[in-house]
Amino acid sequence: MRRILLLGAALLAAPALAQVVEPSNPADYPEAPGRDEAVTFCGSCHSFKIVSSQGMTRVQWDESLKWMVTRHNMPQLEGEELDTILAYLERAFPPKPAGSRPGWTNPFAPSR
Amino acid sequence: MPTRIEHDRPRHDLLQDEGARTPAQGRRDLLRGSALAALGAALAMTGGGSRVFPVALAQGKGPQMLDTPGKHKGLVVLGDRPLVAETPEHLLDDDTTPTDKFFVRNNGQLPEEEKNPDSWKITIEGEVNQKLEITLGELKQRFAPQTHRMMMECGGNGRAFYAPTARGNQWTNGGGGCAEWTGVKLADVLRAAGLKDSAKFTGSWGTDPHLSGDPALRAISRGNPLAKSMEAHSMIVWGMNGQPLPHLHGGPARLIIPGWPGSLSTKWLSTVLVRSTPHNGAGMGGTSYRVPVTPIVPGSSNDGKTFVDMEAMPIRSIVSAPANGTRLAAGTRTVALRGAAWGGNAPIARIEVSHNAGQTWQAATGTTPPRNPFDWTRFTHTLALPSDGYFEIWVRATDRAGVTQPLVATNWNPQGYGANPVNRIAVLVG
Repeated sequence: MRRILLLGAALLAAPALAQVVEPSNPADYPEAPGRDEAVTFCGSCHSFKIVSSQGMTRVQWDESLKWMVTRHNMPQLEGEELDTILAYLERAFPPKPAGSRPGWTNPFAPSR
Repeated sequence: MPTRIEHDRPRHDLLQDEGARTPAQGRRDLLRGSALAALGAALAMTGGGSRVFPVALAQGKGPQMLDTPGKHKGLVVLGDRPLVAETPEHLLDDDTTPTDKFFVRNNGQLPEEEKNPDSWKITIEGEVNQKLEITLGELKQRFAPQTHRMMMECGGNGRAFYAPTARGNQWTNGGGGCAEWTGVKLADVLRAAGLKDSAKFTGSWGTDPHLSGDPALRAISRGNPLAKSMEAHSMIVWGMNGQPLPHLHGGPARLIIPGWPGSLSTKWLSTVLVRSTPHNGAGMGGTSYRVPVTPIVPGSSNDGKTFVDMEAMPIRSIVSAPANGTRLAAGTRTVALRGAAWGGNAPIARIEVSHNAGQTWQAATGTTPPRNPFDWTRFTHTLALPSDGYFEIWVRATDRAGVTQPLVATNWNPQGYGANPVNRIAVLVG
């Protein structure tokens, strides 16, 4: 996993990637094994905010990673590294419950 | 063929170049353990023209609001790298969307800002008699300018309404705006280069670097049939709402291909390639900006091979006032509504509202006709409410082809294009 962190750190250190002031911070996302690795790896190319707004099965996360390899030249993850990232993504951001009104929140809903 | 096309070759071709060592290869080495060598490769790939763009983000729970120069602080940040922000429906309440309220969508990094806009170069090449290289200054002199108020809308607008969640930025209805664009007809410029009989499609590039910083990759490069490019409202623009086109919105010059996915309206326009075959740039093919012809099971896997390119955007409507969540005084029995409707297929025929989840609909009484086929239709309506209490106000539009908005997002696809269910706001009386 150290290599994933190193990869993320190396990419983040590159000036061309310094488009925003703050890189994604793992502490902002649900705690589970693999969080640092996932936030650092995914966050080396884009904000982890876009990742955290998705909700997918492991298969769909895997397909999304493959899509990024094909379309955006993302380094291909394999073996334990892939397992770590996928395990975090499927646990932290599973498919969202099928609410009757996705994309809309009742502003008057009683707070819990 | 211009060298730019090489960027869109399959990745394995790039990797097979003799003697070439791509940044992607270098980054792979990081994962294979030769970290020091690869670190050098990763750092060496940073020669692109990206610049730091300050984006301050509010802390805390709930939506993040945009805080960046020239932009309204009410925009909701969907992503900060790349910078993506949507306009809440209640900020789409102006007849013409002010530039500060206009949504922001980037696919890559922001390119370096051009200090001398009139020296900005645009190239028209490919299936033309004479390759045309022209500066923006020359373009302004040579071709007749025009100004049109037109919708510009992300192809993924409405994606958040899909269940299950579709991949990408979770737009509600705010990935669009209606601004006045000043420029020249793209058709005039293409004709000046001389279109060959073989000219059937166009593809275009801007100068925005890929998110990874990898100079061998392009952030996005989209294209469409030539006929769309030749329409009178398809333009190369340099003005937005009477001012020079801001850097953040693609200045000094961008395409506007109205009514179709916004990604075709290439920002920081550098090249238009006239082609005999459909464009194959980044963002073409697969499931990108493509929708199923044969509907698929929501949530299922699909490679998009049988999908078709998304062309005209679906019909959509919003209530822009009152804002969702407005509390009204007890005893209030009428609500003054304002809103808008638009679509890329056919003119708006009617706009209807309901306060009872669609059991009954009332036609909006005050509609302002659009100025052109790609302008939105604004409406006002005084809606009567039967009592105090909680109401959801729904709005739907129907076009002249008889197509109306569905109650739920339909034709689900992996990247979530085409979700246009009825819009709703909630109000509480009393």
